[in-house]
Amino acid sequence: MSKILESLPLTVVAGIVLTVIMVFATNQLESMNQSGPEKAISDLQKKMN
Amino acid sequence: MEEFIVFFVRYLHVICGIMWIGILWYFNFVQIPSMPKIPDEQKPAISKVIAPEALFWFRWGAAGTVFFGLILAAMNGYMHEAMTLQQPGIGFGMWLGLIMAFNVWFIIWPAQKIALGIVEADAAAKPAAGRRAMLFSRTNTMLSIPMLYSMISVQNPPGF
Repeated sequence: MSKILESLPLTVVAGIVLTVIMVFATNQLESMNQSGPEKAISDLQKKMN
Repeated sequence: MEEFIVFFVRYLHVICGIMWIGILWYFNFVQIPSMPKIPDEQKPAISKVIAPEALFWFRWGAAGTVFFGLILAAMNGYMHEAMTLQQPGIGFGMWLGLIMAFNVWFIIWPAQKIALGIVEADAAAKPAAGRRAMLFSRTNTMLSIPMLYSMISVQNPPGF
């Protein structure tokens, strides 16, 4: 880990990787937290987009 | 009136956040990479004048960001949902911000006080403290990227 943090470009890449992981985790948690009707509306909104 | 207060607290939260992350990125993108290029006789200008001043605004910017952010979350009524990740969009950002602020006040600032000679310490402790401060400052730079994504995407959905 310290090898990554000693390099500024690798630190930025690690930050971008963490962002991608966070986006996937956020989508998963939001799906799990939605009730049936909420999920149906959310899915419909995504299709319309 | 309450709407304006919520807006104003958010405004203060953003101002403090720019102060904090702006100086964090100044340290990591400008000052740390430039130090080896500065002649030894000129280095005290950084270590004795600029760095202590920047660290003052850096740590109080962090405190202000957390302070106004928590007030904002409480006023908007999503504090509990965010902290328990029932609202993960803002919750991840809040947790990352809190971890970063903890790093600033309880790891980076104490280590910088030793490294810059603000507190008394033996000569051997200074390089180790400087390295600890640098690594945790880099950790915060890494965490700032997803933290800012979280903060911005909640109000401006990326559309996927």
